[in-house]
Amino acid sequence: MVPLVGSRAVEPLALDDDDVRAVLVEALRSGGDFAEIYAETRRGRSLRLDDRKVEDLSSGLDRGAGVRVLRGQQSAYAYTNVLTRASLLDAAKVAAAGVSGSASVRVADLTTVQPPFTHPAARDPLAADRGVLVDIVRAAEEAARAVDGAVRQATITYADVRQEVFLANSEGHRSTEERVRTRLVAHVVAARDGVIQTGFEGPGGCVGHELFDDHPPEQVGRRAGQQAVTMLAAAFAPSGEFTVVLAPGGGGVLFHEACGHGMEADIVAKGASVYQGRQGERIGTPIFTGVDDATVPGGWGSYGFDDEGVAAQRTVLFEDGVCTDYLSDRLRAAGLGIHDSGNGRRQSYANLPIPRMSNSYVLPGQDDPAEILRSVPRGIYCKGLGGGQVDPASGDFVFGMTEAYLIENGAVTQPIRGANLVGDGPTAISRIDALGTDFETRQGICGKDGQGVPVAFGTPTLRITKITVGGTA
Amino acid sequence: MTEAAAAEELLTVLDRIVDRAEPGEGLEAFGIDETDTSVKAYDGDVESLSSARTRGVGIRLVSDERVGYAYTADLSEEALAEALEEARANARFATPDEANVLPGGSELGALEGLYDPAFEAVGVERKVELAVALEQATRSAAPEIKGVDSAQYGDGVRTAAIASTTGVRGAYRRADAWLAVEALAQAGGVTTAAYGLDIAKLPDLLDVEAAAREAATRAVRLLGGRKPASAKVPVVLDPFATASLLEVLGAALTADSVQRGRSMFAGRVGDAIAAGDVTLVDDGRRVDGLAAAPWDGEGVATGRTVLVEDGVLRRFMHNAYTAAKDRVASTGNASRAGFKSPPGVSPTNLFLEPGDEPADAILRRAGTGFYCQQIMGVHSGANPISGDFSVGAAGLMIRDGELAEPVREASIASTIPDLLTGIAAVGSDLRFLPVGGATGGTTLLLDAMTLSGA
Repeated sequence: MVPLVGSRAVEPLALDDDDVRAVLVEALRSGGDFAEIYAETRRGRSLRLDDRKVEDLSSGLDRGAGVRVLRGQQSAYAYTNVLTRASLLDAAKVAAAGVSGSASVRVADLTTVQPPFTHPAARDPLAADRGVLVDIVRAAEEAARAVDGAVRQATITYADVRQEVFLANSEGHRSTEERVRTRLVAHVVAARDGVIQTGFEGPGGCVGHELFDDHPPEQVGRRAGQQAVTMLAAAFAPSGEFTVVLAPGGGGVLFHEACGHGMEADIVAKGASVYQGRQGERIGTPIFTGVDDATVPGGWGSYGFDDEGVAAQRTVLFEDGVCTDYLSDRLRAAGLGIHDSGNGRRQSYANLPIPRMSNSYVLPGQDDPAEILRSVPRGIYCKGLGGGQVDPASGDFVFGMTEAYLIENGAVTQPIRGANLVGDGPTAISRIDALGTDFETRQGICGKDGQGVPVAFGTPTLRITKITVGGTA
Repeated sequence: MTEAAAAEELLTVLDRIVDRAEPGEGLEAFGIDETDTSVKAYDGDVESLSSARTRGVGIRLVSDERVGYAYTADLSEEALAEALEEARANARFATPDEANVLPGGSELGALEGLYDPAFEAVGVERKVELAVALEQATRSAAPEIKGVDSAQYGDGVRTAAIASTTGVRGAYRRADAWLAVEALAQAGGVTTAAYGLDIAKLPDLLDVEAAAREAATRAVRLLGGRKPASAKVPVVLDPFATASLLEVLGAALTADSVQRGRSMFAGRVGDAIAAGDVTLVDDGRRVDGLAAAPWDGEGVATGRTVLVEDGVLRRFMHNAYTAAKDRVASTGNASRAGFKSPPGVSPTNLFLEPGDEPADAILRRAGTGFYCQQIMGVHSGANPISGDFSVGAAGLMIRDGELAEPVREASIASTIPDLLTGIAAVGSDLRFLPVGGATGGTTLLLDAMTLSGA
């Protein structure tokens, strides 16, 4: 436990056992069969460097607590950011009124449970002086500008947060977990001869400032700058069906959107997933194995407990191409009669937990990445995908390619712009015929039902034999 | 709590902060106090019910042309004092900029029609009834509807207040209720999904049947969709797709994007950028739009801003900072994502002035083409910096002026300049949708675009 924020103590969530018990008892008064308190304190800082100016320096405190009552598959939730016993008792009354049942569940004696995994920050970001943060964003900006005179704008954003989560439920679970996250994001704009292109790099982790050991600010700025400058020479992309090779990390968002979301148990339970009822079926090629792993040390999407107090786990979604386990939270695991995979996450105390991915990875394979490219006579090499969109019901997806090139006779040649990858998840994974021995990750914020949570994606070099490219030429 | 009492309580907190300004400091305190309710129904019963009250304050401090920001959800004296110190410390590390000014001076007026006191007499039972009715109506709207992904009643009652050392002081309250449903249609082992929506100022004004029918119709008509043959064809965007497009345009028409070099419209004021009869308006005082308010996120009166008039780019949207930089007046477009962020610049209710023709007349005008009811990947596919536009699309082909066979896994591509000059008709069916805030949807006919499929 790191007790300091700068020079200030983190205030404990001032709830003693007696308060917790009283709130849980009140929450179960109208016959719910499970009650829970989720309380959270978040302290964070952020700043932005744009056009050489340091701006939007912000810091603050957000805190609140929610009381949830379950009865079968029904949930009722009430939250407040006034953290007093009286206010939580009020929330418990409101939540209790949202269900009506006949269960007479007793609140078990509370036992403190330690998180099974911790992701401690080696260098506490909130202890760093503001001047250090300014130096970080300046270093990234200078590196971006140094790439080429064509770089017009560099916007660097730094953000850190310390989240302290307190959970207690009627089954006697009581835990506290601290999660520290740090992220540095570079957006670069380059312009030449009337063409404008952008570049992006945004590493982050459930880590402190040791993030910058693996991702020095200069490297973050330089990579975003190089991407923008490279794309200035891009030609309009062709349209049609192509063999596509995705660079390591570059295909992660596709797997996340087109396969991961359809494996979330809430979507499955409502018949809105293309993967529903297909467990045991071989959908992908036999070399394709995909996992969701919330235990990755320091992963951007990692945690110790999920936001329901269930231990973080590694869940295999597709094994050797066969559809295996879904990602669930407490409610959906009970509804579907499956194992709770510990993927119940919430954006904050203001939200009900829902099944979410954490770090979703396509595992590396046996192929030499260079050979994967060499064997393609004509195709597309994609190093980065922009925010995609998927319809989980059909599996249909669309991803903008932010950095892509033609492959001609096994060599990466002309950069191309303005193209999408269009397809559907099951078909795409049935056409993966090569997986590299390499592996990289990317980080993002995944939005679902109005809730954003940090997630990471990871892939090796990956080849899809045929996919539609929606180009402009 | 009554409207006046909630506002007074919040203003009292803000006054206490502003009173602590040191000589030479500009200080602005912005607070919100909101109550939200959400009811989701499934299988004829409540799936989830959530009820919440959120309060928080954000402090913006300007000192020697430097700005710092801090926020707190804890409104105790101690937490507020700490937040003020944080804002002060943050300001010390910011780069000075003479455009860092707090707006002020003018009296903050009211805007009628944002809040109906009858709202707070509506009990949770009625809200549950609406959610359940929405789910049931959607399920029974068509035989092909096999499920409902989510059927939700939602509402929010929000008090916003502001006070500053530059004489800004005011509060307002608004209340909105909405229905949102996603219908799932099935045939031949394929599932399609589509949304239906309704928004109103009172729960009882919501139209359950209309939202259910909209979701069902839009989902069912996509059944049996195939990849289209690649072709250059006229494209008709439905109101939802148009709203998605306007969201991208809106961001590029803020002075913030322009000044930061992130808009293709920089330096184009006075130029014809769209077809000759196209007028694009941002109006923060249209109470049928979800972004209506008497004043913006820093206490400047909202108004009607004509951005594009008869195809000609007239002006950009401003907050006080971007306005000071360009030496113009703020257009009242300072936006707040909540109490945790400093004001940015965003559209309020952004819409194309509607034309005379209803949707069916526009389809007839298109003759043969593609009717796009869903744009996918607009945030990555429509690039307001480079002007590239290539997005995924689902919809139906138009043949002989009528909707024909459905299309999936398609992509439509053009460039934003070509798309704007290619606007051939704006429908009369304007309706504000909660897309990117509160964007106006209309049926829109566009000249030939590249439709790609297999």
